[in-house]
Amino acid sequence: MNAAVVENAAFWPLTLIVFLPAVVAAFLSLPLVPKAREEVVRWITLGTTAVVFLLSLWLAVPQLFGPVGPGQFVLGNPDMQGVVKLPWIEAFGIEYLLGVDGISLPLVVLTTFLSMLAAAASWPISKHVKAYHVLFLLLESGMLGVFVSLDFFLFYVFWEVMLLPMYFLIGIWGGPRREYAAIKFFLYTLLGSVLMLIAILMLYFTSDVGLLSDEQLIATHVVSPATAVDEIAAIRAADGAVHTFNLMALAAIGQLPNSPFAATTVWLDTSLETWAFLLLLIGFVIKVPVVPVHTWLPDAHVEAPTPISMILAGILLKLGGYGILRICYPICPGAGLSLAWLVCGVGVVSMVYGAFAALAQTDFKRMVAYSSVSHMGYVMLGLGVWSAVDGQEYRWDFWAQGVNGAMFQMLAHGISSAGMFFMVGVLYDRVHHRNLQEFGGIFGKMPVYSGLAIAVFFAGLGLPGLCGFIGEVLVTLSSWNYSRVLAVISAFTVILTAAYILWAIQRVYLGAEYRGPHEEALTPITPRELSIATPLVFLAIVFGVAPQTLFQYVTPTVNQQVETLADWTRDVHDGTRKLLVAAEHAPADSLRPAARLHDLAEREGAR
Amino acid sequence: MEIATLLPLLLGLAWLIPLASFVAILFFGTRMGPHGKSAANVATAAIASSLVLSVVALGVWLGHHPPSAASHGDHGDGHAARSDSMVRLTAFRADSSAPPAAASGHDEAEHHEDHQDEDHHDSGAHGDAHPHEGEHAAVAPVAYAGDWYTLYSGGALRLTIGWYIDSITVLMFVVVTLIATCIHVYAAGYMHDELHPVTDAEVQLTSGGPFSREGRFHRFFQALSLFCFSMLGIVIAGNLAMVFVFWELVGICSWFLIGFYFERHSASTAANKAFIVNRVGDFGMLIGLMALWGGLGTLHFGSSVDPATGDPQPGLFELVRPTAHGYQQEVPDGLVAFAAAADVAGLASGQSDQQAVRREVAAAVPGWREAGYGRWLLFIAGVGIFCGCVGKSAQVPLFVWLPDAMEGPTPVSALVHSATMVAAGVYLVGRFYPVLTPDVLLVIAYVGGITLFIAATIAVTANDIKRVLAYSTVSQLGYMMLALGVGGWVAGLFHLVTHAFFKSLLFLCSGSVIHACHTNDMRKMGGLLKVMPYTAWTMLIGCLAIIGAGVPFVIGLSGYYSKDAILAQALLYARLNPAHGILYLAVAGGAFITAFYMFRLWFMTFAGSPRDHHIAEHAHESPRVMTMPLVVLAVFAVIAGWGLPSGFGVAGLLEQSRPAGTATTVSTDVILGAISLPAEHDSHAEDIHVTATLTAFATAAAGVLLAALMYLRPLVSPAVVARLAGPAYTFLVNRWYVDELYHILFVMPTLRLARLISGIDRRLIDGLINGIAWAARQIAGIDAWFDRTVVDGLVNAAGRVTWNTGIEMRRLQTGRLRQYVMFIVVGTVAIFVLATLLFRTSLAG
Repeated sequence: MNAAVVENAAFWPLTLIVFLPAVVAAFLSLPLVPKAREEVVRWITLGTTAVVFLLSLWLAVPQLFGPVGPGQFVLGNPDMQGVVKLPWIEAFGIEYLLGVDGISLPLVVLTTFLSMLAAAASWPISKHVKAYHVLFLLLESGMLGVFVSLDFFLFYVFWEVMLLPMYFLIGIWGGPRREYAAIKFFLYTLLGSVLMLIAILMLYFTSDVGLLSDEQLIATHVVSPATAVDEIAAIRAADGAVHTFNLMALAAIGQLPNSPFAATTVWLDTSLETWAFLLLLIGFVIKVPVVPVHTWLPDAHVEAPTPISMILAGILLKLGGYGILRICYPICPGAGLSLAWLVCGVGVVSMVYGAFAALAQTDFKRMVAYSSVSHMGYVMLGLGVWSAVDGQEYRWDFWAQGVNGAMFQMLAHGISSAGMFFMVGVLYDRVHHRNLQEFGGIFGKMPVYSGLAIAVFFAGLGLPGLCGFIGEVLVTLSSWNYSRVLAVISAFTVILTAAYILWAIQRVYLGAEYRGPHEEALTPITPRELSIATPLVFLAIVFGVAPQTLFQYVTPTVNQQVETLADWTRDVHDGTRKLLVAAEHAPADSLRPAARLHDLAEREGAR
Repeated sequence: MEIATLLPLLLGLAWLIPLASFVAILFFGTRMGPHGKSAANVATAAIASSLVLSVVALGVWLGHHPPSAASHGDHGDGHAARSDSMVRLTAFRADSSAPPAAASGHDEAEHHEDHQDEDHHDSGAHGDAHPHEGEHAAVAPVAYAGDWYTLYSGGALRLTIGWYIDSITVLMFVVVTLIATCIHVYAAGYMHDELHPVTDAEVQLTSGGPFSREGRFHRFFQALSLFCFSMLGIVIAGNLAMVFVFWELVGICSWFLIGFYFERHSASTAANKAFIVNRVGDFGMLIGLMALWGGLGTLHFGSSVDPATGDPQPGLFELVRPTAHGYQQEVPDGLVAFAAAADVAGLASGQSDQQAVRREVAAAVPGWREAGYGRWLLFIAGVGIFCGCVGKSAQVPLFVWLPDAMEGPTPVSALVHSATMVAAGVYLVGRFYPVLTPDVLLVIAYVGGITLFIAATIAVTANDIKRVLAYSTVSQLGYMMLALGVGGWVAGLFHLVTHAFFKSLLFLCSGSVIHACHTNDMRKMGGLLKVMPYTAWTMLIGCLAIIGAGVPFVIGLSGYYSKDAILAQALLYARLNPAHGILYLAVAGGAFITAFYMFRLWFMTFAGSPRDHHIAEHAHESPRVMTMPLVVLAVFAVIAGWGLPSGFGVAGLLEQSRPAGTATTVSTDVILGAISLPAEHDSHAEDIHVTATLTAFATAAAGVLLAALMYLRPLVSPAVVARLAGPAYTFLVNRWYVDELYHILFVMPTLRLARLISGIDRRLIDGLINGIAWAARQIAGIDAWFDRTVVDGLVNAAGRVTWNTGIEMRRLQTGRLRQYVMFIVVGTVAIFVLATLLFRTSLAG
């Protein structure tokens, strides 16, 4: 065990990031901390989230903490970094396999950052304070675990771990219809996870790491560099398939010319790959969410307390997009290519549908919730435009642009939507209603708050100079090469977005007088609220003005994945070199001399 | 320092200083002097510094690129200029044995084009324009382009923030900063009220009491600074993406400024209307951007170098007007290949070698271009970009926001909604001109023509002094668009510059009047000449400038030169394209209406005797801080059109940046029928020039005369005319019912659709979900019944537990469902474990 830990330089950082909140949650749930000391519980939670945020910064921005050490993220390296690999349930080859790359790391930092702000935003929670914070910290562990897991089983465990605290947080601390909203959220998401589980098992039992070359086995961390020779020998010697939950290995297998996923037909004369893709896709798009499986979102948001809405919109929705990018496409590329129209189509439908629905809302929070549906549609469209490489030349630039734009949109939406929900919460805490018809004149009463709120809403509107613009424009521009019709519809959405956001701003912040109840409660923003709102506005501006701060992390990894899949489209899917490659591939593996393996292992170890 | 680095530095600073002012006022505005009074000084100092830097940049420009009479199409000596330029070009031709050489360091490139085969003339099969004149030379204008930093790069694609500087960039910098400086000074006086708590009489509180609020003096200057930054960003932009960025930013500044009095419902509604209507235009612009981006992979105007690979990347201008083809317009390879995607796929199928595919595609492109592939894409790109300009420049059908925008304070109307931001659309058409095909230009010309006519007719019946000016702005922008559309590249941009001066002057004068009278209604004014002499006389200069007054063939105010140029070009276009002769009628008729409503305004306001004595008694001339800018702008309204024979002047400066390949008449017959786009120099021909000048003079004189008859010496009663006109008058007073029409056609269906979709969500989708839940509950109930009756009867002890469960299930406690769910999960995992144990070998085998 100890030797393995030394090898896994990132073991402690990643493990702490994921499990520290859970450990503190366990500690809090002990009777050690008296229930009455609510302030202590709040401060411990805030401190924990802050430590976790600092840890993630240590990982992501090593320059802040001195020279780059082992386990810290190296910019520009597109590969999986800081991989932690320890055996867990050996009977099924289930591992404690963690790692970060340009896709997951920004999401990890976003999660730790928003969790910290949400913890600060949880101060007004006064019911069962201790239980709330225990669940809150468990939720953070679950979310972070999903982003760093590279073992599909571990991923699934974290996915489920995340689900339950969220259910309770909405169901107990929510608004009047909290039980309905919570059960709706739970059932929707559970449906998704059950389908995902089926897909996981399908893929697991069809996988065979023996199909991979030695280089691939090392690159995908199926074997440890130190013991590569023996492990590979064991894999080659095994009679029958060696199954795996390793996501990187599953992706490598899925992209093989003789991919067993594509070759196996399960039902209705359709390949296992397609079924798995569809099942996973449904599981993930429920989280995104897309029309028509989105109706849990407005209810959950309206009922959830403010900090939980921030987490829900800022992070939970990103899990769907992340799953599609990390799991669906790399593992099932063939299905992804032939079903790209589906991904793009539901994306565009969500954009327009969500925008129209937002326009009709009279509940402020519901309006913001529907704006999330609309904005996350951009993510789907950007992820899906990959057939830009199909048909004519195999140019991957536009697809990469779409995926980069989608990633940026996820991160930007994390900032802007969390900000919007927080801004709604600030008002709700004061006047205890959210009816858009009964606001007005807030700017005159709370000028600083209103200025920040309008900035955040403008970020949601996609105004240049703020974070919402970059992702939207990249996705929209990239979609033209995939489908002119979808591109035009997605461009049309900018009108609706402007309409619902400006209309809401007019009804809430502008005007001469407040038209609702509790006018006396409209006091200026408090320092605590200011300290939550300011970082969000600041980041919205930084990401909008200097998007490279995010792209420097995202682009290398995304481009590598897209380029790989574009090559796959050319070489494997279109079949021009299929037979050729397959012929080269088959016999070579088991005959490699051990010396070469050592070289490979050392090179990998040095990296 | 090299000019190629000096100009971006100077203009870049001039661009960023207002941003610094914005940030400073944002954070420290309230601490700037008493009530933020010094915010005006900060903002004014910032824009004045920008003005100084811009003037220095202009000096640098003129020092390196002195305007030559040869390239200058001045009014009087058009023929001479033309022959001069021919001589110069012939000289180039003489030593053209050397291959075309681009000057080192920047994009200066001069060489002539190849001889165009006359056989291709008007064939229409090429999708490109061909020159009428078989033999001539083309010169690429000087421009400096580069990038400051990158927003996104991936593969060969790059979106950047950069610059493209030619003479119109420099000129626009000077014009924008000059006018903005005047308006900053003026606003320091005009917005004086905002230094103290304000009682806004136009706000109705439900309690009925008066509405009071704190003054917002510094907020005004904060927004004004941000606006200047955004506007200059459009002007300096080196690519279309950056244009789009600042396009949106000026839009939001406009939103802030229109909604400055946001307590007034009308103001916040007008602000939203402006932004949303502009977004409709931006929707089109996005499509244009996509069409170019998708096919060409670049939005840069000028050519650049990819910093990652070091490969040269041709810009849009080079792609559409390749140097190698003498700058004649053609559909770029990228768009041709994009349009021929199916054929490309055919070539690519079965090929594994990418390079070979690319070579084959490259070889096939000329044939595809011949067959017309990509024409429509280029057309869509041009029309799409123009849609954005339609929104921003308030052209038909998106002009409805501009009159409402007059809800903003008057200095805003002068700067944002007449002189600069609304001119951005015209500027972009001028900037983007090399890419616009004759078909797109025809669309632009018609949109401009229709706009100038509709807006002018509405202005005739408006009684709000600012609304008259607003419609006049719309109308004049229509003039500019039409001018650009009929090939008058210099004419359109020239009018943009002169109009910026006299229209900002007119607005500031109207602001001075409103400041004095506390009303916008001209029917309550009259006889103000004696009380407000500065305002009255400077406004008269503005009126004379806008109608293009002057002594024919001798001298005139600025508008005289620019309007004549437009008239001449429209006349020439009408002669070459008799089918489109109506465009010339629109211009000439518009000139008449313009003269009429402008002098109606002046007479109603300043001449005669006061209609409302209360107002007249309290009226007073504005303070010097407000009248000084009027005088400065009046001077420019007079002289902005003047030019020295050496080519020194606005027109000469513009001529320096005339897009390459537009100096000749071209004919096409592609999408909208046969079109001849005349060379602008040809409009200086004697017969055209004389006719146009006389027409302009006659129409303007007639307009003034009619206005005098109706409003100065009421020989013809306006009321009688209105009664005689009957429905037509009502139609005009109601602004052609456009707002009402849009409300019925667009706003209401949109809201209805929104409610429908919201209803689908609640009823259909959630209904389905709830229905499933209900069904599940029924099944649970049956299950419970089964438990109660059957199981209870069998096992009593266990029965009690089950019975309790049944009761719970019937009520569907949320906790129970969770348990079910856990069963599902555990069950699935169990199946998976069993399956592994039992079937491991068989599955693996």
